[in-house]
Amino acid sequence: MYRVFICAIALLCAVSVCAQDLDTRAGRLQQERQAKSSQLAPYKRNGLESLLFELKDRRVLERYQAGYKGFHPMLGGLATGSGFALGTQFRKSDIAGGALNFQTSAQVSFAGYQKYQLGLRAPALVNRRLSLAFNFTQNNFPQEDFFGLGSDSATDNRTSYRLETTEYSGTIGFRPIQKLELGGRGAIFNTNVGHGTDQRFPSTEEVFEPNTTPGLDRQPHYQYGGGFAKYDSRDHPGNPRSGGLYEIEGGYYYDRDLGLYSFRRWRMEVQHYLPFFNERRVIAFRGKLESTSADSTRQVPFFLMPTVGGSEDLRGYREFRFRDKNAVVFNLEYRWEAFSGLDMALFGDAGNVFKDVDDIRLSKLKTSYGFGFRFNTEQSVFWRIDFGFSQEGMRPFVKFNHVF
Amino acid sequence: MFSKLCSSLTILLTVLLFARIPVFAQKFFPDDPMLIDRDNLVDAGEPRVMKLSDYYDFLNNTFSSPGDPSKKPAANANTLGEVPDSSWFQNRHGQKRMTTEELVRGPNTGNGPSTTERWIVTEGKTEGITPGFRIRDSRGDHYVIKFDPLTNPEMATAAEVISTKFFYAMGYNVPENFLVFFRRDDLSVDKAAEISVGLGPKRRMTETDLDQLLARTSMTSDKRYRAVASKVIEGRPIGPFRYFGTRSDDPNDVIPHEHRRELRGLKVFSAWLNHDDSRAVNTHDSVVNAGGRRYVRHYLIDFGSTLGSGSVTAQKPRAGAEYLWEPWPVFRRIMTIGLWDSGWIRVRYPDLPSIGRFESKTFEPQNWKPEYPNSAFDNALPDDCYWAAKIVMAFTDDDIGAVVRTGGLTDSDGEQYLIQALIERRNRIGRYYFDQMLALDNFALDENVVRFAHLASQYRFAEQPENYTVSWFRFDNAKNEKTTIGNEVPVKGLTFAVPPELMSDGTQYFGVEIKDSTKRGVKGETPAVSLFLHRLSPGRIIGIERTWNVQ
Repeated sequence: MYRVFICAIALLCAVSVCAQDLDTRAGRLQQERQAKSSQLAPYKRNGLESLLFELKDRRVLERYQAGYKGFHPMLGGLATGSGFALGTQFRKSDIAGGALNFQTSAQVSFAGYQKYQLGLRAPALVNRRLSLAFNFTQNNFPQEDFFGLGSDSATDNRTSYRLETTEYSGTIGFRPIQKLELGGRGAIFNTNVGHGTDQRFPSTEEVFEPNTTPGLDRQPHYQYGGGFAKYDSRDHPGNPRSGGLYEIEGGYYYDRDLGLYSFRRWRMEVQHYLPFFNERRVIAFRGKLESTSADSTRQVPFFLMPTVGGSEDLRGYREFRFRDKNAVVFNLEYRWEAFSGLDMALFGDAGNVFKDVDDIRLSKLKTSYGFGFRFNTEQSVFWRIDFGFSQEGMRPFVKFNHVF
Repeated sequence: MFSKLCSSLTILLTVLLFARIPVFAQKFFPDDPMLIDRDNLVDAGEPRVMKLSDYYDFLNNTFSSPGDPSKKPAANANTLGEVPDSSWFQNRHGQKRMTTEELVRGPNTGNGPSTTERWIVTEGKTEGITPGFRIRDSRGDHYVIKFDPLTNPEMATAAEVISTKFFYAMGYNVPENFLVFFRRDDLSVDKAAEISVGLGPKRRMTETDLDQLLARTSMTSDKRYRAVASKVIEGRPIGPFRYFGTRSDDPNDVIPHEHRRELRGLKVFSAWLNHDDSRAVNTHDSVVNAGGRRYVRHYLIDFGSTLGSGSVTAQKPRAGAEYLWEPWPVFRRIMTIGLWDSGWIRVRYPDLPSIGRFESKTFEPQNWKPEYPNSAFDNALPDDCYWAAKIVMAFTDDDIGAVVRTGGLTDSDGEQYLIQALIERRNRIGRYYFDQMLALDNFALDENVVRFAHLASQYRFAEQPENYTVSWFRFDNAKNEKTTIGNEVPVKGLTFAVPPELMSDGTQYFGVEIKDSTKRGVKGETPAVSLFLHRLSPGRIIGIERTWNVQ
């Protein structure tokens, strides 16, 4: 009986305290906190959050970009018209205390294109004023398009040929000021042309004759020597929004086997970027002239002639659609930011090939136009989808690089 | 028999006691207005470190609405509309003016890392665009050293120091951030220091690593390095807090963050200082010990992306004006080939590398946005923003100048530009939010006379209304019901008397509704302020309720 009485008093006290607590705002909060203290549980990430957390914590994207022990996967970027390519690159940049870079790569595309490369570079010698580079490149492109020479070549004459090249080159560059580079290049350059593998079209030698297509029957081995000057004031070369690139390069290909196909080659390119609206809009312009010429007793082989057409210049036409000794291309793009990560583009292209430099006329340029999507970071465009339109129809391009 | 009697008595008393518990309709409690929320009374135990994914935080906040999106009134504002002091917030400059010395000192308890001996580098950070490292000074204090980007010397460090002091003065817990200058000789690498270079595993850090790290930073003209030394926050770090929900392992965290006034109002403060990086990853929870009891203290950290700084570059022009992902602007831009765009794209910024991109001419506080949606900001109501705007307006021109000068900007034109931009942005905040409500404040009951201030005219944003209308009411606290007494009465000026009968009869709670009849919202409603008074309360005024224009 006594115990029951004690219990009753205790209960009354508890109830009284409880009621007092609930009588104040602070008391109510304290009650709530006391109640929560008995149900504490650590935070648990859900599946998606865990995945994204691990993705960042383990730096998966960075590791993908950085590769494994110097090995890096390569997606696309083999050669124009090669189709989707996969490959592996090995890079080592810490040789001789970081003064030397070594890289080698192998790429194969679904169309059977192969490219092998090996390079050794010293990009920043003598207070970053001097650079040296040695490269070896072997290409085996089994179905390069050829429609015949000249700007009036017919689409019906589409053929394919195999182009094999091997090049050993050395380049020296000098920077008197940061943005200007002057340099020279020497190379040994071996070439071979074979039967094209594109089943949809005849091989080039089945349609075209060697007398109208120089170099179709015999291919030379070259020695090359040339020089270049380049002024680059682009803010981000991988995704420029301001500045420009002004480049000129000239050289001589000496046919050391046959003596028939020695020729000179000049290439000039101007890129300029006019930003407005806080660089969220850009007018991008490019003009490009490529010119080859040979002495009267020699010829420029067709497979080394400048071309026009494809994802890099005249986007309403197929890759290598026009080919001759001279080529001119102008591109004008209006780029606008849709959101951070995507720029859109409207573009107009004009270009053509010419047999002689004297024939070059703006009125003879072929035109195309279109629009594109540029998925990007501040520094680079990593994915580009362009739709080009011309009198020969619409051409879609999906590329893993920027156009310019 | 006696036992039964006791039992019956117990039940009876229990019922009676519970009957005393106020029903939930009750508006005021005896401890109102609550000035301190003692959210450190329940021992927090050992909460685990919470690691959030910032990718997920972006997706979650951008493509869904986490937390409770119902825009109900802030849950932790007291009956006067103020925020009680707590582990989240301490009323400072907004409630009682801080001296210039206090504003300049900010959260700093000392003078930064001791310079009597070399700083010992204990850990290196190589990832990211700007490098950094941790040091230990001769006192044994630990600091994180952060630098400016090469393209914008002084920008990020000045922004970090200046914004730290503003956020502290506003009332938030922030780290002690010091502007420091040092030479290479002032540093040496600890034998146990580690560094992770590139993606490699951590390894012992060498003096050469430190040289390479410093080579990626800029030097002042007298060959010193300029940096921010951020003192490691007291207590055991347990990760960030989110701007919604509560922390499931903190017993004291019972108010959903999206309903906390200081987090809703942070939208206004962030707009003022362009703190577009106001997201979970830039917050910090720390378990501290007070008298043997552990509780969680909540911090804002990392102000490198404030003012005109984007931490590693100048702030992006979009920052503050548009989320990283907003479907409508993107759709419109695509469909109009970029001919349509928001105003931010045309804003011109002066060429001031140490300031970055910061301006005031096109600043619209109500339209300011962080990098991606924030549940607390989205829930902010006009009274939350009004509360914050009052604190922003508490910073005088001189206060702003004094705080900005702590950033150590050597470009005096840039410094002056920043001061003027902050003054103009402050005024735009005051002008806008004081127009959303009837901006009557600083109420006092002085010998049965109610005195108040009209903030919009006090700060010269508007004319003082010629007269107001007041209507008195008795208030039944238990039922939360008003009974109007008499008619609306026009009053002139910033005072009016309490009707004598209300002071002399037995009414416990009474109040008055004040309106500016010349000010009407878009639907014709009149914004009003209601004062609630209690006969026996020492301050008498125990509640302020505001209604606003419906937008």
